[in-house]
Amino acid sequence: MQKTTRKPVNSFFKKIFVEAGTQVANYAIIFLISILIGALVIFLSGKDPIAAYKALWIGAFGNGLKFADTLDRSTVMILAGVAGALAFRTNVTNLGLEGQLYMGAFAAAWVGFSIHGLPSYVHIPLCLIAGCLGGAIWTLPVIYLKLRWNITELVTTLMMNYIGIRFTEYLIAFPFKDPTATLAGSPVLDASARLPKLMQGSTLNIGFIIAIAVAIFVYWFLFKSKTGYEMRMVGLNKDFAAASGIPVNRSYILAMTMSGAIVGLGGAIMITGFFGRFLGSFSSGYGWDGMMIALLAQNHPLGVLPASLFYGALANGALAMQSATGVPQTAVVMVKGSIMFFVTVTVFVPYIRRRLEKWVA
Amino acid sequence: MGGIDLSRIFTLSLFATTFRMATPVLFATLGGIFSSQAGIFNVGLEALLNIGAFFAVVGSVNTGSPVGGLLYAVVACVIACLFFSVVHLELKANAIIVGLAMNIFASGMTNYLLVTMLDSTGFYQSDLIIGFKTVEIPFIKDIPVLGDLLSGHFPLVYIAFFSVWLVYLILYKTPFGFHLRSVGENQDAAESVGINPKKMRYLSMILCGVFCGFGGSFLSLSYLTLFSEGMTAGRGWLALAAINFGEAKPVRSLIACLVFGFADALALRLQQFGLPSQVVLMLPYVSTLVVLLGSAIADERKRKALNAKHRSAETALT
Repeated sequence: MQKTTRKPVNSFFKKIFVEAGTQVANYAIIFLISILIGALVIFLSGKDPIAAYKALWIGAFGNGLKFADTLDRSTVMILAGVAGALAFRTNVTNLGLEGQLYMGAFAAAWVGFSIHGLPSYVHIPLCLIAGCLGGAIWTLPVIYLKLRWNITELVTTLMMNYIGIRFTEYLIAFPFKDPTATLAGSPVLDASARLPKLMQGSTLNIGFIIAIAVAIFVYWFLFKSKTGYEMRMVGLNKDFAAASGIPVNRSYILAMTMSGAIVGLGGAIMITGFFGRFLGSFSSGYGWDGMMIALLAQNHPLGVLPASLFYGALANGALAMQSATGVPQTAVVMVKGSIMFFVTVTVFVPYIRRRLEKWVA
Repeated sequence: MGGIDLSRIFTLSLFATTFRMATPVLFATLGGIFSSQAGIFNVGLEALLNIGAFFAVVGSVNTGSPVGGLLYAVVACVIACLFFSVVHLELKANAIIVGLAMNIFASGMTNYLLVTMLDSTGFYQSDLIIGFKTVEIPFIKDIPVLGDLLSGHFPLVYIAFFSVWLVYLILYKTPFGFHLRSVGENQDAAESVGINPKKMRYLSMILCGVFCGFGGSFLSLSYLTLFSEGMTAGRGWLALAAINFGEAKPVRSLIACLVFGFADALALRLQQFGLPSQVVLMLPYVSTLVVLLGSAIADERKRKALNAKHRSAETALT
């Protein structure tokens, strides 16, 4: 019975241990199931799953350069993920990240190839701001339809995706067609609009640092500022927030436009940092990735960082896997889909918690 | 648009094309109606059409008959729906997230299987794919206007429009439909009179899979006999908009489907007149927004008129 004196401290640590252990074990189960589903699919198509995953790992983290490329891949995913987390946490179902990404990317490209003779320290910020505006403007019809006519953004944002992608395709096919290019794309950006690289031999650029800064800013905004607090209250219970005098409509407008601006910035960084011109269908579903990343991070802006690194690694490693083992890189898409299937599964949690509590006690 | 003769755009064949283009959306809509009425908002319709279209091609190649393709598609979609149901109903995952996950999973899966099963990337086209043949209706085909409009469609087009009536009957005139709707309406009340909500939800998802299988196989085995990446082109999302517009009622949703079908048909026609394809291909999505806005405006007018009526009735009384 000597232990009783230590009990309060002990149980506090036990509590934290059980809480953290539950989270970790829950994610471990989700990842394990998803990776096993991927392995099963690879196995059924007659390939060696272990070799495939090994090639994927080496492709993503094999050496410093590959790791830098993985970080570069995760840049746009961080921004898309933060945009998703901001929207979902404030009860805004923004499924239009993909369209907003395209609009932001095009706006940035436009500023990049049509304005000449600016120094880099003016041209780059202009491009990035244009990207934010492009993404934000694309949410305005959605906001109008929601607030004036009460039409759910679940449907309208999806439609705006298709309209945005087609619209940018039109822009590069007609008004801004580059006559010299073989691919459907805009003219090449001026050198003054290109983001400086961080590392020789890799595509990693300062966009990555900007993305992390945005994630930290959104964390501060949501969790430390008054407006952010109000917006989270709206996310928790809209009617209660309205009854306590929080401007619900303002919260909706802010969340939607900020979300669009952030993912638009992601598009702008892809264009100014990676491609150097706007290309038709350049995004391989980064907007959708952002949504999944936000879910995986439980809509926490800082949780987005590790989740994006994971998704960036999958994207970067997939190509290496395909060329090394012949397993099509779309196998990775199935793993991503499986994670999303199970990420909101809650039945594991109480079970794990009970087991952990019993084990600790 | 100055040089375009409108009478050459709005021809009978445009309206016949409307029926054809509305068909896949209609199938997905009818499927989604079942799950919506049972209380599951299924956002995986796009995925189901994709899966259906792919396995219809596989089935057609394997069995050498379009009916075989249809069967493969239906079975594949039902399996996908059962998987959805297990994750949602047994593992208690959020239905919307599971639906979105299914879209991502399905796009990866069909691309993957395209490479590993059919050994091609992007799309698969072959003489081995046997599609459906169009059907002429004996008497109607000889009537001038009606014949052009109604005859000479693919069998699945007729099945789709007939199904609207069938779904209406099942939902509103059978005990099964009544039970299904009651589960979506008020689960506790349904449970208290001995209806098993879980069972009804499983059944509704199976029906959803069957209809989506039909829709998918229409995409790849009727007008076009091929499978290509992204050939569903957002039709599952349009179906979702139709269900949203029609409040999950079959006939009301049919109207939305016809509008989308018309927009699609118009887009095809305008492309032939040299308008940029990127612009005309926006039409179905823009028309969705317009339809939703239009119905919202109409609802508000109706409400205002009703209010005014009440008010004048009140003043008349006092």
